[in-house]
Amino acid sequence: MTRWLLRRLVLSLITLWLLATLVFIITNVLPNDIGRTILGPFAPQESVDALNERLGTNDPLLEQYLRSMRSLVTFDFGNSFQSGQPVLPTILAAIGRSGVLAAFALALTIPIAIIAGLYAGRHRGQPSDRAIVLFGLTFSSIPEFVIGTFLVVVVGVQLGLLPVLATPPPRAGILDTARFLLMPALAMAIVYFGYIARMTRAGTIEVLESDYIRTATMKGLTTTQTIRRHVLRNALVPTVAVIGVQIGYLFGGIIGVEKIFNYNGMGQLMLFAAQRKDIPVLTAGVIVIGIVYMLATLAADLIIAWMNPRARLETH
Amino acid sequence: MDYSRLDLVRRSATPLELDVVESYANGRITRRQFIKHATVIGLSTPAIAAVLAACSGGATPTQAPAGSPGASAGGSQSAAPAGGTIRVATQRPVSIDPVLMQDLSGYGMVAQSFEYLATLNKTGDDIDKGLATDWTTNDDGSVWTFKLREGVTWMADGSPFTADDVVATMGRLVEAGNSGLKGIIDDKSTKAVDPTTVEFTLISPNGNFPYLVSVFNSQSVITPKDYATGTTLDAKPNGTGAWKIESYNASTGATFSRNPTWWGGTTPLDSLEFVFFDAVGPQVTAYQGGQVDCIVQFDVLSGEPLLTDANTNVIATRAATHRQIWMRVDTGQFVKKEVRQALALSLDRPKMIEQLFKGRADLGNDHVIAPIYPYFDDSVPQRTRDIEKAKSLLAAAGTPNISATLHAGQLLEIPDLAQLVQSQAAEAGFDLTLAVEALDPFYANAWCPAEPKDPPCSGAAELGIVDYGHRATPDVYLNAALKSKGIWNSSQYASAEFDAAFGEFQAAIGVDAQKAACKKIETILNEDVAVALPYWYNYLAGSSKAYEGIYSSALGQMFFSSTAKIA
Amino acid sequence: MAVISPTVDIRSERAQARRESRAVLFRKPGFVVGLVILGMWAFLAIAGQAITPYDPFNDFATGHQPPGPEHLFGTDRLGRDVLSRVMVGARDVLIVAPLAAILGVTAGSLLGLIMGYYRGLVDDLVSRIVEAFLSLPVILVALLTLVVLGTSTLVVVLVVGILFTPIVARTVRAAVQTERQLDYVTAAKLRGESGLYIMAREIFPNVLGPIVVELTVRFGFAIFTVATLSFLGVGIQPPSPDWGLSVSEEYSNMISGKWWPTFFPALAIASCIVAINLIADALQSVASE
Repeated sequence: MTRWLLRRLVLSLITLWLLATLVFIITNVLPNDIGRTILGPFAPQESVDALNERLGTNDPLLEQYLRSMRSLVTFDFGNSFQSGQPVLPTILAAIGRSGVLAAFALALTIPIAIIAGLYAGRHRGQPSDRAIVLFGLTFSSIPEFVIGTFLVVVVGVQLGLLPVLATPPPRAGILDTARFLLMPALAMAIVYFGYIARMTRAGTIEVLESDYIRTATMKGLTTTQTIRRHVLRNALVPTVAVIGVQIGYLFGGIIGVEKIFNYNGMGQLMLFAAQRKDIPVLTAGVIVIGIVYMLATLAADLIIAWMNPRARLETH
Repeated sequence: MDYSRLDLVRRSATPLELDVVESYANGRITRRQFIKHATVIGLSTPAIAAVLAACSGGATPTQAPAGSPGASAGGSQSAAPAGGTIRVATQRPVSIDPVLMQDLSGYGMVAQSFEYLATLNKTGDDIDKGLATDWTTNDDGSVWTFKLREGVTWMADGSPFTADDVVATMGRLVEAGNSGLKGIIDDKSTKAVDPTTVEFTLISPNGNFPYLVSVFNSQSVITPKDYATGTTLDAKPNGTGAWKIESYNASTGATFSRNPTWWGGTTPLDSLEFVFFDAVGPQVTAYQGGQVDCIVQFDVLSGEPLLTDANTNVIATRAATHRQIWMRVDTGQFVKKEVRQALALSLDRPKMIEQLFKGRADLGNDHVIAPIYPYFDDSVPQRTRDIEKAKSLLAAAGTPNISATLHAGQLLEIPDLAQLVQSQAAEAGFDLTLAVEALDPFYANAWCPAEPKDPPCSGAAELGIVDYGHRATPDVYLNAALKSKGIWNSSQYASAEFDAAFGEFQAAIGVDAQKAACKKIETILNEDVAVALPYWYNYLAGSSKAYEGIYSSALGQMFFSSTAKIA
Repeated sequence: MAVISPTVDIRSERAQARRESRAVLFRKPGFVVGLVILGMWAFLAIAGQAITPYDPFNDFATGHQPPGPEHLFGTDRLGRDVLSRVMVGARDVLIVAPLAAILGVTAGSLLGLIMGYYRGLVDDLVSRIVEAFLSLPVILVALLTLVVLGTSTLVVVLVVGILFTPIVARTVRAAVQTERQLDYVTAAKLRGESGLYIMAREIFPNVLGPIVVELTVRFGFAIFTVATLSFLGVGIQPPSPDWGLSVSEEYSNMISGKWWPTFFPALAIASCIVAINLIADALQSVASE
């Protein structure tokens, strides 16, 4: 077990390093005037040159790369080009906010999706199954920003039920925060329902048709609980795997939702940083998201290993 | 006309003041223009009142002409403060460095704490006494003397505001190459005569100088003498203004609280809460959802619902904000004047104004003298759409069909404008391909590339659309965009005739002389069409009717010092 | 006695299975519906302006007219007919998305074949790189790259295609690994065939099933991704009537009740992706039977 964990950790570190290199390549591939970007088009050329000198943007590429790698190891991400504030606290705060939203969305969708998937799997072929599949299929095809827009108009403006800006006021309690985050979380939850439900359904079908369940039934193990425990454990393996992977995709959807609801999470931060070519923020952001993804898949693998000891050998 | 009263004023007037009074008395300028210009010149309020009374038969004029719809002045400043806060939606500021800031949001933030020598009047369309209580000029407008307000202190440490602060501020602005003051003053121009008097010796006479140290030159806020360039408002909170910055988070917003030592008294509200957004759409959404009470600036297309909302005060200011469609006159396909005129003739300006602004804009006539300026000369015929003429001009130039790329940045309605231009110009024979990109790369690659450096912007694209914000005088437009080797001269326009006319305008003292110079400028520019200028659009801001006493400039500066919550 | 090469037997068996699958496929209602919808959009993309009621680029009527007899889907903020723009909007998406999907699947399949066949060091090394790519949300990397390189159609296709490669590679690799263990591969190796030959002529035809399914799934994702990128402002550029772009240009107007310029392009996006997912779903269930 420890060997496997260690191996995973080493591999993760290598992956993170590759990630950082990738970002460095992308952001340095074209000659771009960082100083000019920060100071804007109207600043005098002398100020721009001075700033470039100070930031070290004219140094040879290799030197810049080494400097970049060194700073990553020490977690010194520097200051934002845009605001001059240190990058790491900004990113951590933003990830925290996005994390809350993502967690809320997952909390909404996972239980319902799993129950729906199990139900559909057990009643395969029946109208209820088809309905669930169709519903899941349809809504997972609609980009989150589209659903978000509809929710804003119908629920937020026309009906006035929920606040239209997702940022809760400072010092808001849990219930209040939930009220503000409900619409964006719902927008994402609706989209991810489809993936998770279908995965659970597929897993359920596979398990129900597997040998050992038939054997168990034949042997007389009709206790609903036992069957449920067996079925659940194994049907959920692909589901957990999917959820782990979805954490990565979640950030894609979150950018769209955060734009519509003006929520200052990672999505907005990254979008804004990309537009403003704020490279320290972008680099740090990509690394941090990479770490989150790695932790999520690690956790998913651990859960799968716990649920199904056999599966542990197959994951690598 | 009560000449005896008029003579009283005439006798004590300087030649400059006399010229303004005469222009009004003879009906060459309107009453509004007279009041505006007289204030600039430094004519005292009683004198203005006397002239107006003399010429209108006794009616005492109000402080300002009928205000723009919705901008309610006043609020009970003398009564006990009612308290409360107001939540304001604004575009995320790029910079809140008083000397280097360039975006309207930054101007708005900084203007809450720092103040100008000449501030905004309550109707939002002209200047009024600010940190300076009086300004006068010598006979030809080359030396200006500003009397500073007494009893003003800096909120950070209570130290007194003195002339030394003004001198230091001006020095910083000159060093930074401030666009409003470049060529007007240099590092030796500003002198502290005594702690409450500052004297400016201009490089060349300029009748509009007070505007250049007013709210309309946004970076000219007065900062303490040790406030080095590069210091931002949140790094070193300070100022003489009504509001003290309490917190600033570049991602989410900023809060200000009342400055108890402000010279203007006690503000009715306790605090201000600014919320930052990246686009206007979400601001409108937030406003309609009741999560903010006020929007600093919105455009017609995003804020349409606000225009007809019964609970919203719309502050609509005619402004000099415009777009320039520049064309390279030195190289490429637009070298011939006929081609440029053809493009200008293919534009359907009224339709553009209707589609993009729902009518809330003034027509542009391919020159940079906005109709709101008192010296605007309306004798140049307004260019209208004429496809036949455009076609014949192109044919005469030998190029009946032109294929070019139209560059534009992603800002407000500019991508839509580009689409309209493409469509309208197609009928005359222009086949335009659009290249719309984010603002940063657009400015850096298409509008004014850093290389080649000399002349400036000589690497600009052949054809593009760029934005210009509101200015109270056209000096910046004339100087930077159109003068030979101007710092923002993307079209590379270099006309000795125009440069001479511009020089005439700058030296002109008095409305009549300025108007004459403008007529020349307008005619030359309209003929040469270095830039096609389709419209001057209104600046729009909005607030809930639950508040009164908000007024705003067309440059993003919203003032809340007399704002009170009434509902 | 003639020895019938086992490879030939397996091959013809599989060909027969494929023919049967196709018949089953067309009997599935999901598949047919999906094909019809997709076909409609493809037809509209090709026919383009020839059959639109108004010129989607140059016909400016009154802005923001609600749906009515003259404009079935209403007009947008500049007065252009929404129906015409939605019809033509199919074109850009149905060029960019399939190209990106094909690029991704081609590159991914190649990579997957190599990784799955050679295993060992090659596999480990490439897998690390693949995982690095996978741990990034596609949208974020696409956003970053497009902002740096500029937003031309070519760059969008390349970026999205390259970002899909690792996902496809992973799936194909898994399929190849299964095939690799089968006898016919061992037989080919014993015969002395080169790795290239085995991958191309032996393994590839047999993983074609999962590859085709991946292609359709990727196609759906490509549309989703391009729509989102256009919405964020880094995808397809104006004056294109692209659906994602239209939504981004008009969504703030939904607040004031002008729902139609956003609703219909959004509906188009959804219908397209749903159609493709229905097809993919049908293919997947046939492949696994």
